[in-house]
Amino acid sequence: MKYMIMTFGDQASALEVHSRDWIRQMIGFMKSLNRELVASGELVSADGLVDPSQARTVRFEGGLPVATDGPFAESKESLAGYWIVDVEDEARAIEIAARIVAFVECPIEVRQVADAPPEV
Amino acid sequence: MAPFEDLLRELAPPVLGTLVRRHGQFDACEDAVQEALLAAAEQWPQLPGGVPDNPRAWLLTVASRRLVDAWRSQSARRRREDTLASLERPPVSHVDTSPDADADVDDTLTLLFLCCHPALSVTSQLALTLRAVGGLQTAEIATALLVPEATLAQRISRAKQSIKRAGARFELPPPSERAERLRVVLHVLYLVFNEGYATSAGPTLQRTDLTGEAIRLGRLLHHLLPAEAEVAGLLALLLLTDARRAARTDADGLLIPLDEQDRTRWNAQQIRDGVTLLGRTLGSGPIGPYQLQAAIAAVHDEAPSATGTDWPQILALYELLERVSPGPVVTLNRAVALAMVHGPRAGLALLGTLDGDERLAHTHRLEAVRAHLLERAGDTLAAQAAYRRAARMTASLPEQRYLALRAARLDV
Repeated sequence: MKYMIMTFGDQASALEVHSRDWIRQMIGFMKSLNRELVASGELVSADGLVDPSQARTVRFEGGLPVATDGPFAESKESLAGYWIVDVEDEARAIEIAARIVAFVECPIEVRQVADAPPEV
Repeated sequence: MAPFEDLLRELAPPVLGTLVRRHGQFDACEDAVQEALLAAAEQWPQLPGGVPDNPRAWLLTVASRRLVDAWRSQSARRRREDTLASLERPPVSHVDTSPDADADVDDTLTLLFLCCHPALSVTSQLALTLRAVGGLQTAEIATALLVPEATLAQRISRAKQSIKRAGARFELPPPSERAERLRVVLHVLYLVFNEGYATSAGPTLQRTDLTGEAIRLGRLLHHLLPAEAEVAGLLALLLLTDARRAARTDADGLLIPLDEQDRTRWNAQQIRDGVTLLGRTLGSGPIGPYQLQAAIAAVHDEAPSATGTDWPQILALYELLERVSPGPVVTLNRAVALAMVHGPRAGLALLGTLDGDERLAHTHRLEAVRAHLLERAGDTLAAQAAYRRAARMTASLPEQRYLALRAARLDV
């Protein structure tokens, strides 16, 4: 079963409020976690997104798609990064997410990736 | 990598060239060679000695058969569809086993120009070059570029259609277009290298060795065009930059700036190769941006330490580079050199001229350089703010972390 584990907010703010040591530990933690998920064959993909201040939003306005800079205001709700893992069950996905949460101390969302309808 | 894989990749362009010259239809031939390479990777390890007696003839025979099979099934389908046109070609009756060195040189060069055809997008040029000239398999290229294999296969197939639509033929570009077309080829090799070197995407995924591949293709091109000074300049630049790779990141993949790198970890042999090549090249032809960038890299590589670097020389080279190939990134780099020679305030003043430059609006580099210079000028608070602005702007995770750490280091 595939799950997407999502982190929100912006990395930059998190990095700004933490000490050098914490940043170094965080880098080491992410690296070893990802290495472990590759080794266990569970990692499908993982990416971090650039800062939300670099985002553009495309809206439908007056009958036309219009691109604007931002959003700037609600960066707490912006997707910051994700892992997609292929795991035995939901409990394992939550276990992985729990380790990340224990480190970053911010809420993380775990959601199953929808499947195609079963063949039989 | 198994030794026969190097051989396979060396043989890929001449075999493809021979096939295209014989049959036309670059796109079908390219597919056939790709299939032959896959077949070789499967079957050769089972042969005594691991390689057939005449590997080139083996590949050519298998690729020719695949090509004929493809035409047969295509024409069978057409007959079923009740069309009149027959695409059947005469079956391949003989196989060339005697490679003609001159034809090989022309073929490989022609292939490179074709893969870097101006009708293609840069991403397509890159993918097609890696496959048709680099002899890499679709899956390997996909892994290296961090895209799904199906996406990459489609990109390559569309690229070949675009070449066909543009009416490109399998021949060297006419002399009037050659310089411009060579410029595109060099740019593609430079980008292949950067894809591998910058590792700008994903936090974890390993890239196959694109830097090594760019250097291999650079050597190949230099071998094909030994008199082109900019080709040699690019190869020297790649060698001299890649020489610092091992010292460039720490165990956690965190970037280490040039002035803090452990220079004993630089690749001395590669530096010697790059410097020798550059020495032979400078003055042999018109000076160009790659030779100048290689010359700058050589000054860094030969310096015993950051402070022992010949900064006036680097500044002079950047001034020359700005005249030959002006652009905001060159100015940015000149500001760093200027700061090293005349102090951080002089560098900051030059950076001021770049404020509001649209071309730098979406890169972190202006703020990152400003931050370094402010730090050197002792303006800690402003430096920290600039590091943080840069951290928000960069598209590279390792760079974001590096910049955040620099900012955190300035905490009092």
